[in-house]
Amino acid sequence: MEEGYKLSSIERLVSQRRIEQYAEASGDFNPIHVDPYFAATSQFGTTIAHGMMVAATISEMMTAEFRADWPSTGRLKIRFRAPVLSGETVTAHGVVSRVRRRDEGLEIVCSVGVNKQDGQAAITGEATVLIPADVGRGAGG
Amino acid sequence: MPIDYTALAPGDAISDETYRLDETTVARYVAAVGDGSAPISGDGRPDLAPPMAVAALSLRGVIVDLQVPAGTLHAGQELEFLRAVHVGETLNCRATLSQNSVRGERRFIVVQVSVEDGQGGAVMRGKSTLVVPAQS
Repeated sequence: MEEGYKLSSIERLVSQRRIEQYAEASGDFNPIHVDPYFAATSQFGTTIAHGMMVAATISEMMTAEFRADWPSTGRLKIRFRAPVLSGETVTAHGVVSRVRRRDEGLEIVCSVGVNKQDGQAAITGEATVLIPADVGRGAGG
Repeated sequence: MPIDYTALAPGDAISDETYRLDETTVARYVAAVGDGSAPISGDGRPDLAPPMAVAALSLRGVIVDLQVPAGTLHAGQELEFLRAVHVGETLNCRATLSQNSVRGERRFIVVQVSVEDGQGGAVMRGKSTLVVPAQS
């Protein structure tokens, strides 16, 4: 894997049904997510997705690429830039920005983010994963 | 009793909760996020839980115990996954306040979270930045 390698992107519709399912799963019933009447009076005018629900697409993308190394060694640092409104479609994207050989293995740093359908960045950040030496050896970098 | 956000100080314990990441919890999470990468398996043990399911669990106590007010927004998140978690594991999630500041009409709350397994082994660490209405 080399710098500039693009990870396979993941597209997802953020439906109100999914937002409500995430509220159940996370225990976060903030009305900005689940109460359309409250949300209508907010600065967004409608319900928005939980930030961590949207960020899950980045983790899914990293898991698809790095399999069990991601949940074992992954590091994620993100900023939530813009709310994702109910009904919007988002796309998680990533590109390898740095590859470093370390004693423990190959450290791969990816510039990651989630864009909304209009191209606006909803999330920006960095994800790092360590591929253990026995696997990483010979993988480039 | 409502939380007095002005009285919260760095170092304050926010939550200390123990959860079992059972099949139902993971299935509910996967359905919500539509994660097509899960489950990962192959070592003969139960499937691995998506790491963000662990992260979501770690924030559950924060949301409940901080009585996060309506209109609160999540501004930033850092996560460090230290080992994969299998479905069915019991996890202890602790959160500590590391910053409480007001800028304009917004209060910035920064919380450090840590997740350990049943044997006290570290599973995940994180830092969450929440923006709550300043009048809270």
